Amino acid sequence: MIAFWVTAGVLSAAAAMLMLWRAAGAAARPEPTDVTSIFYRRQLAEIGDLADRGLIEPEERKSAEAEAGRRLLAAADAPVEAWTPGVGRGPVLAAAMAVPALALALYIAVGAPGLADQPFSARLAKWRASDPRTLAPAEMAAVLEKLTSERPNDPEGFRFLALAEGAAQNPAGAVRALKHAVRLAPERGDLWEMLGEAEVYTAGGALTDDAITAFRRTLALDPKNIAARFQLARAKIKAGDREGGLADWRALLADMAPNDARRADLQSAIAEASGAPAPVQAPPMAEGGGAAGGLSADQMSAVRGMVDGLAAKLQANPDDQEGWVRLVRAYAVLGDAGKRDAALKAARARYAGKPEVLDALTQAAAAAPMKQGQ
Amino acid sequence: MIAEFGSFALVLGLAFAAAQFVLSAAARLRRSTVLAAAGEGAAVAAFAGVAIAFACLIHAFVTSDFSVANVAANSHTQKPLLYKVAGTWGSHEGSILLWCLILTGYGAAAATLGRGLPRGLKASMVATQGALGTVFLAYTVFASNPLARLPLDRIPVEGNSLNPLLQDPALAIHPPFLYSGYVGMSVVFSLAVAALIEGRVDAAWARWVRPWALAAWSLLTVGITLGAFWAYYELGWGGWWFWDPVENASFMPWLMATALLHSAIVTEKRGALAGWSLFLAIGAFTFSMLGAFLVRSGVLTSVHAFAVDPKRGVLLLIILGVTAGSAFTLFAWRAPKLSRGGVFAPISRESALVLNNILLAAATMTVMLGTLYPLIREAMTGEAISVGPPYFNLTFAPLMACLGLVLPAGPLLAWKRGDLAGVAQRLWAAALIALACGVGAYALVSPRKAFGALGIALGAWLVAGALTELAERTRAFRVSAGDSWRRLTGLPRGAWGMTLAHLGLGVFVLGACCELGWRGEAAEALPLGGSLDVAGYHLTLETVGPREGKNFDAERALIRVTKAGREICTGEPDRRFYPAGGQTISGIALCYRGASHLYMVLGERRTTAPDSSGRGGMPVWLIRAYWNPWASLIFLGPVIMALGGIASLSDRRMRLGVGRRREAQAAPATPDAPPPTPLRPGQEQTA
Repeated sequence: MIAFWVTAGVLSAAAAMLMLWRAAGAAARPEPTDVTSIFYRRQLAEIGDLADRGLIEPEERKSAEAEAGRRLLAAADAPVEAWTPGVGRGPVLAAAMAVPALALALYIAVGAPGLADQPFSARLAKWRASDPRTLAPAEMAAVLEKLTSERPNDPEGFRFLALAEGAAQNPAGAVRALKHAVRLAPERGDLWEMLGEAEVYTAGGALTDDAITAFRRTLALDPKNIAARFQLARAKIKAGDREGGLADWRALLADMAPNDARRADLQSAIAEASGAPAPVQAPPMAEGGGAAGGLSADQMSAVRGMVDGLAAKLQANPDDQEGWVRLVRAYAVLGDAGKRDAALKAARARYAGKPEVLDALTQAAAAAPMKQGQ
Repeated sequence: MIAEFGSFALVLGLAFAAAQFVLSAAARLRRSTVLAAAGEGAAVAAFAGVAIAFACLIHAFVTSDFSVANVAANSHTQKPLLYKVAGTWGSHEGSILLWCLILTGYGAAAATLGRGLPRGLKASMVATQGALGTVFLAYTVFASNPLARLPLDRIPVEGNSLNPLLQDPALAIHPPFLYSGYVGMSVVFSLAVAALIEGRVDAAWARWVRPWALAAWSLLTVGITLGAFWAYYELGWGGWWFWDPVENASFMPWLMATALLHSAIVTEKRGALAGWSLFLAIGAFTFSMLGAFLVRSGVLTSVHAFAVDPKRGVLLLIILGVTAGSAFTLFAWRAPKLSRGGVFAPISRESALVLNNILLAAATMTVMLGTLYPLIREAMTGEAISVGPPYFNLTFAPLMACLGLVLPAGPLLAWKRGDLAGVAQRLWAAALIALACGVGAYALVSPRKAFGALGIALGAWLVAGALTELAERTRAFRVSAGDSWRRLTGLPRGAWGMTLAHLGLGVFVLGACCELGWRGEAAEALPLGGSLDVAGYHLTLETVGPREGKNFDAERALIRVTKAGREICTGEPDRRFYPAGGQTISGIALCYRGASHLYMVLGERRTTAPDSSGRGGMPVWLIRAYWNPWASLIFLGPVIMALGGIASLSDRRMRLGVGRRREAQAAPATPDAPPPTPLRPGQEQTA
């Protein structure tokens, strides 16, 4: 704090001295001559110089010199204002003291005296020294981010980072971490499964190509993986192969343990896809419900929060065609037809001249809605 | 401490800018050299304060100090260092601080370098510059403080990052150039206001204005070109100018400054058009401020439109209204009393420059109408309309074509009374070349494009006209080669500047007309190994793989380009996802073919429909390719023009202090002594 005020004082004094120094120099300097006359004499010299080098014709030289000469005479005849030092040192000294005082008053009004810098490296060091249980998810993610940069070949570090990013409501960060993890350990089906789930979560429940790829890799490594089988069957249904998808789901149901809490979710999904009434019994939403493709109430709430965030971001910065497509798709998947249509209308108006964007918007709007717990 | 020190330095800058205004105004009233010098010292101190504040803000961005609200809103720990630094001026608050830095920098430069100016004019100019600095710094400190802090309990763990579209090398340096151009007009503005206060505008004033106008114009030319180049390769649609309001906002002051550069020549050489030059000087900075208002107020939607807080937009509008309104009121009051300059015939260099100014002013008005009309209409009726290329093609383009047609004749006309027949005789070769180029383009280039061929003819006419002017100055082919060479090396840099600027315009017209006339385009969803054709080039999608950036993940394609079976080049466009902002952008690839470009864009990955066996389809990527003939000339032309400006600026005649000491020695010591004898020709050269 003392260092701050000393530095601020030195800066103020140096600036004030600069002003005083210039003023003192002016008081000592003689009054210069009439600069306008000097200019016209220079102009005459330039005309002569150009003519001597053959760059203007003699006739033009004569005319230009006559005109510049007339101006020179007029300038010489014009009354010249007498400038003098005018005032003593008093007013300038007063100004040199008043200006830093004004700055000080302004700073106290708008600044935050005493508030130290908060560089990220110092904050990170503090978090690393803290008990991890006391850290917020985002702080934990920052610590893990640093750890993974120090141990870039450890897939487990990236898995933990993904979990922290997910808890910090940063699904894109989780996806990035998991992509690192699967590059380091492509043989681990659990990482591919997490990646697929994170991709679905990031897309607001929609099955993107990246998610499908991740689930395919999961299934290749772990043919019995329930989440991957569920999502790939869902992908089949979305792609129009309803019977194939239903058959896969039924096979999955047959393979699931009788006490698996996710059976109810799956039965509801089969019933809805086949057009039959859903089982009367309310499906228990077990912890693994999300892994079976449905979203719990909390997850759904988080997804809605993310979609609202995307909508706000697009309002602030609407020039993001990819963002509009994602927003329209997210509203469609959430079954919010009103918002979907409003977003679609706004995006179509914005990208009226870009047929490829219009196509992508139309496809996004056609995404089938997903109900809570489905 | 550093962030707070920056905050203190900023308010210190504001206080010294206010002192600059008060001391310089008092100096003018009391004709006091001491107060004037103190005002000049305050100008330098104000600049030092703002420069320190700016350095502290850069430090906050580089160290990711998210306790600074502006850093938290616009930076991210994973951003590369270049974009952390560039993020300083990537936000609304930071860009306004950059504006203030450049404004006070020009103020300090004018106070320090303007030693050859009359006392009264200089004091009024420094006072005006101080008033501008005070207004903009007050806005920065109280309404848009880039160093405002967040309470400790509200500091986010991570920042919101910067729009990925702005994370680009060209755009990192684009704002400093653009602002140096915009704000450079403030000195021209201050000189105009000072001249109106002094009631005297003459040839000397025009000479004092020209270096500042030249510097600002050159920097603005580079800034606009960088922006156009960024739009060309960053936005991924292959265009370089879309008549977007943000583009127009930077173009209007450029047009006004171009007109001013030409009218100031007439004022300097003949003492004529003094009022008009003043009007343009005020107008150029007014359009700069209008540009800042349009882009910063939130009335426009663009990557640059940061401010969504309408209060700040209203404040900027008030600053614009008060500043420009005061200057134009002063102009209306004082300009009619200014003395008229020399007379000239309808066919003369002066008349050609007047025609140039009429066309440039009309072009500026068409751009302004096309930019502001949709905004005014929306504000009044609530109905959003868009004014796009068709309007500008029908209004702006014909005006500029007329300007291009008469441009080569202007420099060949004599002052006062010109000889049109003589000029026509000297330009016949240029006309023949232009005609041959136009006819050749129409007849030989497929497909036939009449307007494209006319554009080629116009570009060739401008290039040949500029070279003809150079040949005339050196009397090429009329005197011996040695004599021509001697004349060429003896040409003043100002003459080189003019030739380069006109040549650059011709090069730009050639590039723009060729690109717009014969552009080719193809788009197709390609699987790996798939191919498409554009303008005779065969593009094959070889591979698509991941690419990891510091703060983005990407898919990168390898596209092999062949023509008639011969490999030409490979392109690696990518598609980047920035997790911090959740945005995806395209990174294009360019394959240079002489001055032409093959432009490749990697689009979204899709999966084809499943096959009959129920297995998933294969991935395909939307590949877009553009053939942009002579596109390099679009950017090379303005660079040549800016070089012309710099060449002119380096002309020793533009240096305000040149010869001052020597001539001061020759001049009488007292103001009322008789005027000295004019220097002999050539004497000035030794100064």
